[in-house]
Amino acid sequence: MRLLVISASLFLFFSCKSKSDIELQQYYIQGEVLYTKYCGNCHQEDGSGLGLLYPPINKSDFIDNNFPEVICIMRYGKSTPTVVNGKTFNQPMKGIAALTDLDVAEIATYIYNNWDRRRGIVKVEEVAAEMNKCKQE
Amino acid sequence: MRSLLIISFIILLASCKKNDQPLPIFGEREFNGKDTTYHTIAPFAFIDQDGALITNDTFADKIYVADFFFTTCRTICPIMKSQMKRVYDATANDPDVLILSHTIDPEYDTVELLNNYAKMLEVTSDRWHFVTGERDSIYKAAQTSYFVTAREDRTEADGFIHSGAFLLVDKKQRIRGKYDGTREADVDRLLNDIKKLRSEGE
Repeated sequence: MRLLVISASLFLFFSCKSKSDIELQQYYIQGEVLYTKYCGNCHQEDGSGLGLLYPPINKSDFIDNNFPEVICIMRYGKSTPTVVNGKTFNQPMKGIAALTDLDVAEIATYIYNNWDRRRGIVKVEEVAAEMNKCKQE
Repeated sequence: MRSLLIISFIILLASCKKNDQPLPIFGEREFNGKDTTYHTIAPFAFIDQDGALITNDTFADKIYVADFFFTTCRTICPIMKSQMKRVYDATANDPDVLILSHTIDPEYDTVELLNNYAKMLEVTSDRWHFVTGERDSIYKAAQTSYFVTAREDRTEADGFIHSGAFLLVDKKQRIRGKYDGTREADVDRLLNDIKKLRSEGE
């Protein structure tokens, strides 16, 4: 009987999840797959980076404070020095042209809702708008 | 009571076997009726990130871990380097353990570039040598001394085919272990084997 109550309440709990929560989860899960494929080799699976070669993603004031630039860097890369947590990183990063707006939105959702960040979902429209801006720069 | 004794004896036996088993010695061996000759690392001469000549003598009476990489590789090398950094950190207090990383793209990876790379990895040349040299000598060392693949291949994403292996070499320049440098669990095994190898000499 107790088991039945527990499972019923569990079922209720999950079905109560709103549509946007489910979308966030979908983006996050797909974002993790894409992060592992495109970012994790250099920035590492746990986002810790490597020495002064690859900056950290997990605990990073740069990621926290530069959302628009982070979106652009994924596709267009970065060749100027980047200061992360007070350290300067000089290695250029090549952009990954193959990433679609949806891919970038999913990766950003993963990065910005992981490692103590709770930004919520990063929508495709948001990414498209940022991409338009950095195209013009 | 007796069964308890038997069981504890079996556990003891099993745990002994696991810990005391010596590391294998890789490669062909010859027996001349009296002594066994094992495969050893063939004589080599490369230049490290400080421009210093690095030969077998650099590793005389040292245990070392060797691998093959290139600085512009974005596939497995960054993972290998983060795992090798773990080895570097874990052996910080073991002066008899060194690391030898060979570039397989010596035309691009010059002494200056390797020096910069080592600095950015925040490691020093007294324990970790990044070497460059004649391309064919490096490829030959990989294939015949260390039994790993390294060659140019324009069809590959970054232009080279190479193994992600870490090789553990003992004080007599014999290979005692081969590990996948992209897998954390395998590198844990390497760290454990380094301990075993260090106690072997005592």
